[in-house]
Amino acid sequence: MALVDVKGVTKRFGGLTAVSDVDLTVSAGEVHCLIGPNGAGKSTLFKLIVGLYPPTKGTISFDSVDITDERPFARVQRGMSIKMQAPSVFRELPVRQNIEIALQGRLSGAQRDAERERLLDHLNLASESGKPAGALSHGQQQWLEIGMALALQPQLLLLDEPTAGMSPEETFKTGEFIKSFNAEGMTILVVEHDMAFVRQVAQRVTVMHLGKIFARGNLETILADEKVAEIYLGKTHAH
Amino acid sequence: MSAELFSVFYQFADVFAFLILSAAGLAIVFGMMGVINMAHGEFIMCGAYVTVGLVKLGVPLAIAQGLAALTAALAGVVVEFLIVRRFYKRPLDSLLATWGLSLIVTQSMLLIVGSSITGIGTPEGSFAIGDYTFSTYRLVLFACAVAVLIGLYVTFMKTRFGVMARATMQNAAMAKALGARTGRIYAISFGIGAGLAGLCGALYAPTMTLIPTMGATFVVESFVTVVVGGANVLLGTAPAAVFLAMIRMALNASYGQIIGQIGMLFAVILIIRVLPEGLSSVLVRRGR
Amino acid sequence: MFKLLDGPQTLGRGRTFWSCFLIVLAAALVYPIFADSYDVGNFSYFLIWIFMALGLCLMWGYGGMLSFGQTFFFGIAGYAYGVLAINMGGGSTTIAALVLSIIIAMVAAGILGYFMIWGGINGIFFGIVTLSATLVLAFFLGQTAGPEWHIGPARLNGFNGMKGMDPLAIGDFYIEGSALYYVMVALIVIVYIALRVLVNSRIGNVIVATRENPQRAEMLGYDVRKYQLLTFVIGSGLAGLSGALYTSWGQFITPSSIGLPAAAMPIVWVAFSGRSDLTATLVGAFLLLFGFQTITVYSQQVALVLMGTLLLVTVMLAPQGFVLGVGKLVADRWTAGRRRDATAALPDAGRLQSDGT
Repeated sequence: MALVDVKGVTKRFGGLTAVSDVDLTVSAGEVHCLIGPNGAGKSTLFKLIVGLYPPTKGTISFDSVDITDERPFARVQRGMSIKMQAPSVFRELPVRQNIEIALQGRLSGAQRDAERERLLDHLNLASESGKPAGALSHGQQQWLEIGMALALQPQLLLLDEPTAGMSPEETFKTGEFIKSFNAEGMTILVVEHDMAFVRQVAQRVTVMHLGKIFARGNLETILADEKVAEIYLGKTHAH
Repeated sequence: MSAELFSVFYQFADVFAFLILSAAGLAIVFGMMGVINMAHGEFIMCGAYVTVGLVKLGVPLAIAQGLAALTAALAGVVVEFLIVRRFYKRPLDSLLATWGLSLIVTQSMLLIVGSSITGIGTPEGSFAIGDYTFSTYRLVLFACAVAVLIGLYVTFMKTRFGVMARATMQNAAMAKALGARTGRIYAISFGIGAGLAGLCGALYAPTMTLIPTMGATFVVESFVTVVVGGANVLLGTAPAAVFLAMIRMALNASYGQIIGQIGMLFAVILIIRVLPEGLSSVLVRRGR
Repeated sequence: MFKLLDGPQTLGRGRTFWSCFLIVLAAALVYPIFADSYDVGNFSYFLIWIFMALGLCLMWGYGGMLSFGQTFFFGIAGYAYGVLAINMGGGSTTIAALVLSIIIAMVAAGILGYFMIWGGINGIFFGIVTLSATLVLAFFLGQTAGPEWHIGPARLNGFNGMKGMDPLAIGDFYIEGSALYYVMVALIVIVYIALRVLVNSRIGNVIVATRENPQRAEMLGYDVRKYQLLTFVIGSGLAGLSGALYTSWGQFITPSSIGLPAAAMPIVWVAFSGRSDLTATLVGAFLLLFGFQTITVYSQQVALVLMGTLLLVTVMLAPQGFVLGVGKLVADRWTAGRRRDATAALPDAGRLQSDGT
């Protein structure tokens, strides 16, 4: 069953067409990776799904409801949850309060506090819980934001380069973390650069190139596709 | 008929000149550095007082006005050096600091020179078309407003300073890396802004009563013009003034000044709902 | 009242703070017994403005919305009270006039706030649009000298202002002197406690989250515009409360309490006090009002020059506010001292906002 259904979506900025007539389906229960070289339009597509931009053309539906004209908060209330590319936390507020703000829509009182402590523990941030979030390291802020996204217990988790700026170890841990949530039934859409991470988590992969869908399939097919390697994987291997 | 047409143009020109002259200095400072200079009205007041003072000493009006604008510009450079410079990374704080300055200046002036000084009277001279008489000086003001716009356009589009300034406006760090002396560009821009404010005061000094709080009469117009113009002031300010002047003129003619001002404010509030980025955002989009 | 200065060692938390709070409150309650009625009246006058300061603190410090329109709503409610009290007659109806005038100010805030917030303007532009509205209102009221400007029997009277309304009353009993003072103290305690509860509640969490990072707050499923509008309406409504009380207190109101320099005063109080803390604002605003009033007796201009200087100096030396800075310093000394006494870990004395945790 399609949880996210993007149909014929185009996004133009002035004269630049960042995303051109794209179809994308994310099925319930899968970990779906959106990959492609820089400037392929994947971040723009991500922002269209999240609701930060209105599309120039096309429709986006979530759980069979047309959400094309909805603002981000309404999409979140429907069961999406979002982690942006750059760490985006409440910098002056304590880590603990960051998590609380994410949790309070769903839980209250002692339940909320218990869940907060569990999450902080899980994120390895328990000892930092009194610090302002802005004082955390880059990687810790990324984790905190992932934690806030998970605190909503979404049907669909949207991650834009969640491992940017993380060490390989941290990246691997993040991957395992994400997989554990997927195992509990959460659908996950990841925009990612890091192929090691994609190999670790992806079940299905969509490759974008120059604003269009270039290829799609399960991980093995995509890894085996020579044209994909040419536009993208080759470059990555060359690193 | 042509007399009536000219009368409409005359009224438009009057409001347009007022908006452009009061807003130009504020807009330049805001556009260049993202700083709203709350002491803008006090630079206007400075220009007006210097003009009147010099005229009373026997200096011809036009020269007095030029010197007044220059004085305000120098005062602006000093204020930039002492205060504004510290706050380029904190635009809200610069707004508060200049507001503090504005309070200090107006109230000190009230203490020192008292509430009002005698004016110098509007330069005589009028002409008639059909049954209507028009003041020549009002048309001089309009010509000055147009000259200010052209002057700004030439300065920012055609000179080396202008290229540097626009680069700084776009991306200060990059401009600095490319060798622009951003500190000096900011200081000069603030000086230009203050000088334009001084010019506004100098030009309107003959037409109004001089009181230390006179700046407040100009700030609403300058604020709303900048808000409607949007972030790209070189592109937005003039169309914003045209647009607001038309609204203002229509309302002034039928209901009087104060309703004109209220109507203009309502128009601004409606515009920000539809075009939060101001008119320049639309023009930029079209331009692409 | 000076006891509050060494009171906020925990910036509003724990037993020590609340003991101080109670002591100050007790002092405030017995004060009229020892003071003459003129001083009590003056004290009531300072207290009138506190609501406006607390409202701005909520919007600016907690919500991140720098409204320069506090005197706009002050004026709307102040004039509304006058018009209503004159039109509805005196006696207990003045209470209704007070409530209605605050509602009118809040409705005005709702409308203005809707256009600004839904239009997505923030930061500097929020300030200058609210200030423009304020100045236009002041200019407008200044031009209403003619007899044609009246609402029922209430003449607006231009620069000379509106007068002749009854003060607050219950039946035949005018709330004046000590009675007014006690009403003020009660209202301040209620508003202060209510605001503390608000900022420490879930709503308060979202308000500060919106200040910190509106996009992230939206991506947690909050319609931040609604929270901003709520903050703006409450903060402006408090300015309205000040305005209505002011008109009732002096039985007059003029456009000069709306325009410049009046519009700058709430900014100075809150900036000097420390916008991120309600208690600091309460204390700082009171001190400044007291000082300002003392100097105004000799020269209003000098007092205003000092206020301008304070604003400038605050922004240059202590952008977070002086009272808050002193409060934090004292709090750090205090907790450091206690840490030496008892090695047990103390709860983190960070920010007041996380009080409720």
